[in-house]
Amino acid sequence: MDSLDTHYATLGLEPRASREQVEKAYRFQLEMYGEGALATYSLLAAEDVRAARARIATAYAVLADPVRRREYDVSLGLGSSSSSPLLAFPSVPLRAPAGTGGGDRPEPEEPPLPLPAPPTLPEVVTGADLKTIRESRGVSLRGIALVTKIGVRYLEYIEEDRLALLPAPVYLRGFLMEYGRALGLDPLRTAESYMARLPRAADQ
Amino acid sequence: MAFLAPVAAPAPRTQRQIWSVGGGKGGIGKSLLTASLGLQLARMGKRVVLVDADLGAANLHTCLGLPGPERTLADFIQRRAERIEDVLVDTGFPGLRLISGASDFLGAANIKYVQKVRVLNRIRALDVDVVLLDLGAGTAFNIIDFFLISDVSILTVVPEPTSIENGYRFIKSALYRRLRNVATHEGIRQMVDAALDPKNPLGIRTPLELVARVAIEDPEAAHLMSREMAAFQPRFVVNQVRDDADVPIGHQLVSACARHLGVKAAYAGFVHYDDAVWRSVRRRRLFMVDAPAAPAAEEIRRLARALSRGESLSLGW
Repeated sequence: MDSLDTHYATLGLEPRASREQVEKAYRFQLEMYGEGALATYSLLAAEDVRAARARIATAYAVLADPVRRREYDVSLGLGSSSSSPLLAFPSVPLRAPAGTGGGDRPEPEEPPLPLPAPPTLPEVVTGADLKTIRESRGVSLRGIALVTKIGVRYLEYIEEDRLALLPAPVYLRGFLMEYGRALGLDPLRTAESYMARLPRAADQ
Repeated sequence: MAFLAPVAAPAPRTQRQIWSVGGGKGGIGKSLLTASLGLQLARMGKRVVLVDADLGAANLHTCLGLPGPERTLADFIQRRAERIEDVLVDTGFPGLRLISGASDFLGAANIKYVQKVRVLNRIRALDVDVVLLDLGAGTAFNIIDFFLISDVSILTVVPEPTSIENGYRFIKSALYRRLRNVATHEGIRQMVDAALDPKNPLGIRTPLELVARVAIEDPEAAHLMSREMAAFQPRFVVNQVRDDADVPIGHQLVSACARHLGVKAAYAGFVHYDDAVWRSVRRRRLFMVDAPAAPAAEEIRRLARALSRGESLSLGW
């Protein structure tokens, strides 16, 4: 049963899966283990759902990051040829899951640029830094919004460092993690590096 | 791929198959699904017999617009009819015949083991292409055993919590019954029985955990059980879909079965809720005939094709 334990198996993917397939599989799994989701609600205890979500988040953090994915493949004994390294970011914006609107789906993104290795995030990261990374990947804000389900407006506030307009830290942290994840960055590092600049709650 | 060793009957001239439609819950459209799939298979040129195995609440005849038949499966079980062919009735559709259920005979829901084996053997020996069983609600052994001997085991769910919950219970009951059948000694049988209770002291919550537990004491037995699990391949049909967002639920069920139950299920297809269907039901006519252009009718045709070819829906990525 050890084949069930790989990050690929967690997301229901083959080791050759493309970057786009990783994204779609991730969204599928998130929905499957979502709050009150039909397919898992009666099958699993709350703790099992939490464990599954954690497993999925870990798998995604590795597989969506080309560098970490390559290291992981090596650790599995997969040749680097089995997964094409540095896959392009999805050329078409991810489709919103069926039934969640999606009526105003934007035009497909401009042709993707090869995805550079994610930069090592500095201790402190600004909105402008994030914007630079995003643009270097040839991804529009709208594309990020589609993947993360975060409103374009909030993404703009983040990139423009309009701190006063940002949501409460507890939400902001989630936004930043999603944003970082969508760019193939370490989600936690993204959130922490950005929030390091914010006044601490106690100081407000 | 039959689950039981074939009975010592003359080799069938054709590739006879037993299909069953189960679901664990009442009112989710099993009978209508059975009737319409059967009609479609007959239209595809197969010789089909529908069997209303919902022995407690038979209504397959009504789905087909037939009056309560004079001869039913109860007559065969009670030996008022000697041969199973004696209780076969025409449906008026070419290639489609019916063995009606025993709505007049409540005790039939609890038929004895020997009677059940007799029914199964005779059904297997029918000279047809497909025998399609409409199973009742619940997870009684009589129902599960029909499901388990089938070549194609169709599990119907509707996108509602109660139905999904019963669907999982149905799968677990069926799987545990199979696992119990291959248990090589009493200790393992007791472990299987214990696992059926969600609060069992062994802490076994899923069939996967059960096999892992057995493997500690008897690797050989665990190996047999793993093979049984691999051979059990229920096919989900998501019925009465009202929202396209419900369509992926079939994929989620397959995925959840694989990860949490160790069951390799497939997603055979879905059928939308369709007003044309209930209008036909009200007229006691089959919507496949009454409203052939209705989306549900097209989905049934697609489903019949997929099931007879052993195809299933893929996630498409």
